Amino acid sequence: MSLEFLNAFKFMKKKTFVHNLDPRVKLLFSIIYTISAMLFVEIIPLLLIFLSLIPIVLYGKLFKQWIKSVRGLSILILFIILLNTLFISLSFAIAMILRIYIMVSAFSIFFLTVDPNDLALSLISMKLPYEFAFSFSLAFRFVPTIANEAQNILDAQQSRGYELQKKGLINQIKNLFPLLIPLIICSIKRAFNVAEALESRAFGCRKTRTFYYNIRYSIKDWIFTLYLFLFLAFIIFIRIQFNILPNFLMWSLPV
Amino acid sequence: MTRLRNASRVRVYKEEQDGRKNETGSGKTTLIRCMNGLIPQFYTGYYKGKVELWNGRNTVETPIADLSTEIGIVFQNPENQLIAMNVEHEIAFGLENLGIPIKEISKRIKESVSLTEIEHILDKAPFELSGGEQQRVAIASILVLEPKILILDEPTALLDPYMAKKIINLLNEIKNEKNITIIISEHRLDLLLPYTQEIILMKCGSVIEHGNCEKVINGKNFQTLSLNKPVIYSIFNILKNENLYYKNIPASIPEAVRSLK
Amino acid sequence: MTSEIPIIMMRDIDYIYPNGTEALKKINLNISKGELVGIMGKNGAGKTSLIRTLNGLIKPTQGNIYIENENISSKSIANLSEKVGIIFQNPFHQLFANSVEDEIKFSLKSISLDKEKIQIRTDHILNQFDLEKYRTRSPLNLSGGESKKLAIASIICRDPDIIVFDEPTLGQDAKEIEFFINLIKNERKRSKTIIIITHNIEFAYEYLPRTILMADGQIIADGPTKEVLNNEFLISNTSLVLPQIQQFYFALLEQGFQEVVDKMSKTEMINYLRNILKKRYSKI
Repeated sequence: MSLEFLNAFKFMKKKTFVHNLDPRVKLLFSIIYTISAMLFVEIIPLLLIFLSLIPIVLYGKLFKQWIKSVRGLSILILFIILLNTLFISLSFAIAMILRIYIMVSAFSIFFLTVDPNDLALSLISMKLPYEFAFSFSLAFRFVPTIANEAQNILDAQQSRGYELQKKGLINQIKNLFPLLIPLIICSIKRAFNVAEALESRAFGCRKTRTFYYNIRYSIKDWIFTLYLFLFLAFIIFIRIQFNILPNFLMWSLPV
Repeated sequence: MTRLRNASRVRVYKEEQDGRKNETGSGKTTLIRCMNGLIPQFYTGYYKGKVELWNGRNTVETPIADLSTEIGIVFQNPENQLIAMNVEHEIAFGLENLGIPIKEISKRIKESVSLTEIEHILDKAPFELSGGEQQRVAIASILVLEPKILILDEPTALLDPYMAKKIINLLNEIKNEKNITIIISEHRLDLLLPYTQEIILMKCGSVIEHGNCEKVINGKNFQTLSLNKPVIYSIFNILKNENLYYKNIPASIPEAVRSLK
Repeated sequence: MTSEIPIIMMRDIDYIYPNGTEALKKINLNISKGELVGIMGKNGAGKTSLIRTLNGLIKPTQGNIYIENENISSKSIANLSEKVGIIFQNPFHQLFANSVEDEIKFSLKSISLDKEKIQIRTDHILNQFDLEKYRTRSPLNLSGGESKKLAIASIICRDPDIIVFDEPTLGQDAKEIEFFINLIKNERKRSKTIIIITHNIEFAYEYLPRTILMADGQIIADGPTKEVLNNEFLISNTSLVLPQIQQFYFALLEQGFQEVVDKMSKTEMINYLRNILKKRYSKI
């Protein structure tokens, strides 16, 4: 999987309907779609669920980034098709692939449209202890910093003749040390610096903390939540009544 | 940071700007962390002595969080001090932790922002800022706690010369407007000396001299320590040693010119 | 002393980052063998991007770079790093080995030398940099100044013809800076070409004969340091300040000291003041 794949999960600030939804709704969205995907092994229902994601991708203007997740999975997909076809059936393989696409896409949409800051706030409103929510957003905040540092480390080592490609598995692992050790050391140093700064700004000082920002569920969020629950109910209904429904839903490849 | 020296009793004065200079590895960083309680509360180890504040509190018994309203520290690398996703939230952070009501937070943010002149970047993320802007945000986010003492650990290290000068000017303005004591650990003496009133010299973990700026600069310790002395200092020091110049070695250029007239 | 063809030639170099930022715009540059050149400018002006093109870390989107009269566009980083050694700002971005000795040996690994020669070079370098006493110590246990020395040693041991420093005086005290100055003097004696990115104006004014000023990805000045660092317009566009001596010069001029000369070195200024003070006392 290339680094391109990671771009499918990177938050970007935009002003769309999807971006403006509360993060909790979007988390619910990802979870419900995942559950829906897990309920079926037949191609057609999965395909329909997958297609129902597309309007949301378009609404959120996320197409370019979302496609990257599709591309990034391609190697894994090939692998799955191969194994599943050999051991079970091509039909099943395709169904599994659709499942994966649904789950990855649902969470990709989540990460692409949720501001890490808002996420931390929504976790807090769900009564998660402040320290946890805070560590969460702190991790997000430092991802670009650490990525930058990794690049600098690579540059520094390459300037001494270090080369990335090596033959053999053991060599490849040994070859990572010149990158990993400086990265870990710098991260630990950074952690101490951040901790000092936090302590010096009274972190964890009082039991009751003021929250300068907060987020609230709006009507749009309630409507969307309702829609999600109806969607789930519908899916479950289909699942239970599956045998009574038209045959075409159970269509599978003759392989 | 794991080895501590004897911390002598340090009394803190009001309304001065201290410059702390020394050779690298002399204990500046450690001493700074003693001042707000990071040592011994955050970094444990062998610690002797006491750091007392003018109001009777000390750094062993009073929790660091409570001391943060009296003593604020701005560290060297601004990036590692900015933890929020935007500048406004960054400044509000310390006050949030102290449980200060929202109205008061808004008011203090406004003051702090206007003093550090960062109105135009309030909604930006930390990595979108230049080094100078980051350092200002860091200073603003400590000022907002309204400490009586502001300590800065090599604040201009990662800045280009013009930005460094601006930050030091800013600190001088803050000192004047808010009447707070500022203690700076610095290598860039040429920028800092013109504003310095007191100097603490350190070597190998001990304070070897602490006094009035003029007195310290003209003393033997300053001469022999491996400091990055300003060019003006070197010039006048040589002239003094040749017995051609009898007055005090100037700390700034205007002073230098005056002393020659 | 300088050979005919410049050791580094850059022609119309452009570089645009993948995210669209233009880091370098139409860079044209010649550096002759054995020169000592400073590069200065605001943070973000393109200084680090510029040096990264020299050893292949960055491949220009336009233009050509010639090192020792060979176009480097097809060369690998490993290949170029034998000729061009870059020492970056933060030593902790590269230190990782079990001992200081191993750290040096790691740098020598990619140069084809036999074991004996590697050992000889390692011993020599540890001696030269006064790091012998730390031979078996972990490089992560060194002080800031010592680790910077080690970082420099680990590039110098490869004996590149072109040595590039990114902010070598940052966080260094006077003694350490003195060591650095002696180091570059020695390397120049061995005909090495040295390029230094720095913010340290006093250092540049005193020790670097030539300075290149950058702003917004372009070279806006390139010439003798004393000329370049005295131009008010250039200074204000590159986030620099006038060197103290120059500030002093202007202040003296303003206050009526007529015979003060522009662009003096420290020694010249001292001599000038010496004369003034001697005259004054001889009048008494």
